[in-house]
Amino acid sequence: MDERTTLEVIAPTVEEALAKGLSQLGLTADAVSVEVLDTGGKGLFGLGGRQVRVRLTVNGPDKKPALEEPQDTPETVTEPVPIGAEPEKIAGADTSSEEKDQLIDLSEGAVSKLLALMNLKAQVSAHFGNTDREGRIPVDVEIRGDDLGVLIGRRSETLNAFQYIASLIVSKKLEQWVQLHVDVEGYRSRRERQLRRMAKRMAEQTIKTGRRHVLEPMPPNERRFIHLELRDHPGVRTESSGEEPHRKVAILPRED
Amino acid sequence: MKELIEYITRSLVDAPDQVDVRELKTGNRIRLELRVAKDDMGRVIGKSGRVANSIRSLLRVAAEREGKQASLEVIEPQ
Repeated sequence: MDERTTLEVIAPTVEEALAKGLSQLGLTADAVSVEVLDTGGKGLFGLGGRQVRVRLTVNGPDKKPALEEPQDTPETVTEPVPIGAEPEKIAGADTSSEEKDQLIDLSEGAVSKLLALMNLKAQVSAHFGNTDREGRIPVDVEIRGDDLGVLIGRRSETLNAFQYIASLIVSKKLEQWVQLHVDVEGYRSRRERQLRRMAKRMAEQTIKTGRRHVLEPMPPNERRFIHLELRDHPGVRTESSGEEPHRKVAILPRED
Repeated sequence: MKELIEYITRSLVDAPDQVDVRELKTGNRIRLELRVAKDDMGRVIGKSGRVANSIRSLLRVAAEREGKQASLEVIEPQ
């Protein structure tokens, strides 16, 4: 095992954390690798935002920065979020408007039933979402109510499980794959904005320091926002490595 | 909790009448045993256990709401 000095710093922003850490170590940015452990501000429903936490690892004298070996091919942004092994059929297209109404009713019904059986009080409303890249129309389901943090869970794991089960139930009824997008009090859209902002910030850092920045582990749907936000960025590129659920996105300087 | 498991699995399988859920309580802990038709095993377990694990996530929330701990076991048919 190689020994490296590491330092964890907490500060309101990544930039401040980095500056603070470097001054403590008495080093310049190119002597360390930066890993964001906590992007902060992830308080539920915008409340209780935390500070960011970064880990600085001092690079060995003749060593490359702490590179984890990529174990598999990086996901590309053209890939849809994995939704399982179900046949992927068009949810909304090719169906009559009566069938569409039925689909909305079924979705609301399944989600409401699940919530009731989980002892959660909430209002449910479903409508058709935007057509995705494959031309499928997902069903957006919005859940509103108090104290629904338990339904989101850590890194939205519970919400993703809920969304998957609800999609399976509706798909089984209709005998074709229907993707439900389930959101709680706008959590997913807020998280998307947050992740995209963070991606831009980290891209600036990557360019400024010329170092790769590894983000905290995220589920596939969240990693996708980072890839999407930076796919056309002139100065950086992104790649994922590691195994679920610890898979992380790294932002690297473009080498061409 | 039993009802939650019954609703989900009956909605996913081809033979809902063969879904059997048993609740075994030990103090604060509840063990749920799920039995389904042999041909439906894959539907309730899923690729790499994804379906069963998702069901467990929802079960955990339901159990926590009652201050309990619950586990779900999918029992292989004989």
